Amino acid sequence: MDSNVYSVSGYLDLVNDTLQMIPSSEVVIEGEVSDFRIAQQKWISFDLKDEKEQAVLKCFMTVWQLKVEVADGMRVQVKGQPKIYERFGTFKMNVQELSPVGEGALRQAYELLKKKLQGEGLFDASRKRSLERFPERIGLITSRDAAAFGDFVRILNNRWGGLVVHHAHVHVQGRQAVQEITGAFGYFNTLPEEERPDVLVLTRGGGGLEDLHAFNDESVARAIYASQIPVVVGVGHERDESLADFVADVRASTPSNAAERVVPSRTDVLYELQTMTRHMEERLQDRVNGYGQVIEKVTHLVSFVLERQKERFRSGYERLLVSSHDWLPQIRTDLENLGRVLRQVDPQRVLARGYSIVTTGGVVVKDAGSLDVGQEITVQFAAGSAEAEIKRKNGHGQQKLV
Amino acid sequence: MTAKKNTINFGKAFEELEEITEWFDSEENLDLDKGLKQFERGLELAGELKKKLAEVENKVQEIKEKFDA
Repeated sequence: MDSNVYSVSGYLDLVNDTLQMIPSSEVVIEGEVSDFRIAQQKWISFDLKDEKEQAVLKCFMTVWQLKVEVADGMRVQVKGQPKIYERFGTFKMNVQELSPVGEGALRQAYELLKKKLQGEGLFDASRKRSLERFPERIGLITSRDAAAFGDFVRILNNRWGGLVVHHAHVHVQGRQAVQEITGAFGYFNTLPEEERPDVLVLTRGGGGLEDLHAFNDESVARAIYASQIPVVVGVGHERDESLADFVADVRASTPSNAAERVVPSRTDVLYELQTMTRHMEERLQDRVNGYGQVIEKVTHLVSFVLERQKERFRSGYERLLVSSHDWLPQIRTDLENLGRVLRQVDPQRVLARGYSIVTTGGVVVKDAGSLDVGQEITVQFAAGSAEAEIKRKNGHGQQKLV
Repeated sequence: MTAKKNTINFGKAFEELEEITEWFDSEENLDLDKGLKQFERGLELAGELKKKLAEVENKVQEIKEKFDA
């Protein structure tokens, strides 16, 4: 066997050596930039394409080599060294020089259409509709095979429940994409009112201008504009704006963000519910406390008055007790003395000593002058009494018959 | 594809709850009787809404129609 046997890396070295033979400094390639990206603010990658033929040249360069602002759709000329990267087996052009050649046709077309639609008012902020805060039905327009579909549904499930998602499976790129997308918009908008979703979501991952052609298509833009149902558009990364984004009622940055824009999060709503009930409770409690304070004040006042009365009574009673302690024995002695005096002046005791009391008509006679001769008197002795008649008084009256 | 409407409409119930909460704020001297009634209704709504929040499942139905027409 005459053939040389190479290892893979050995062979790739051979190929790269052969590529070196192209007089790169004299070769200029002209094409359109697409899928332009800067990674880690250092590495630039983009596709260089032909307008008519389907041909792609993967390009690589660093930010330091790039002297001008480059965007997708720009028509450029590049010079560089082609190379196969052993590790990935990819063919790339290591660009050394890049210069723009007017505006890329694609970009130009895009800009022209954008201007036209803008002029017609398709992007006007005033026509943007707000979304239902708590939708129940969502119309999802995307490819079932796209990562966008999974991302959207996953975030939706994380945030909210009880939804019905009506999924219209469409191609989001390629030839059929435009027709299918506009067809889906037509389908949802012609449903009977009660079956219509609350919101439509058109979404896909990011991509170059080429990939996004359907999202920059005039008929898609007009379908979004004409939709009676509010539309959310979420395309991969913001850096690739699309006309669909501008027409949408709500522009989401990614498929996941579209889900976030469409439904609230459970935790947020739960927190809001709790805040509202707590607020009501506090307001009510304030009011009850208000009443309570009045009641408390009144009861406090009443009990204060009562307490004071009780206090007064109690202290009076106590003073009575204390002072009665002093004067009760005194009274007792006084009474005893009085009793003694009274006993001494007891008329009975006087009579017992031999005195008599003379009364007339129940009145004690103290003056003989008040008596009349012949008047009857009663004489009271210590023991017994006697009736008598006055015969003489003070030497006057009937002579004593001796 | 007619999804059975849920027993309570979350949006409407939530709106009513918001209105009640606002009412509590707008009343300078709120009537205790009415306040209690409103509070009761508010709690009822919040309870139903919380119940709905507990729903975790979403139904994804693929539409049979072709859209390439």
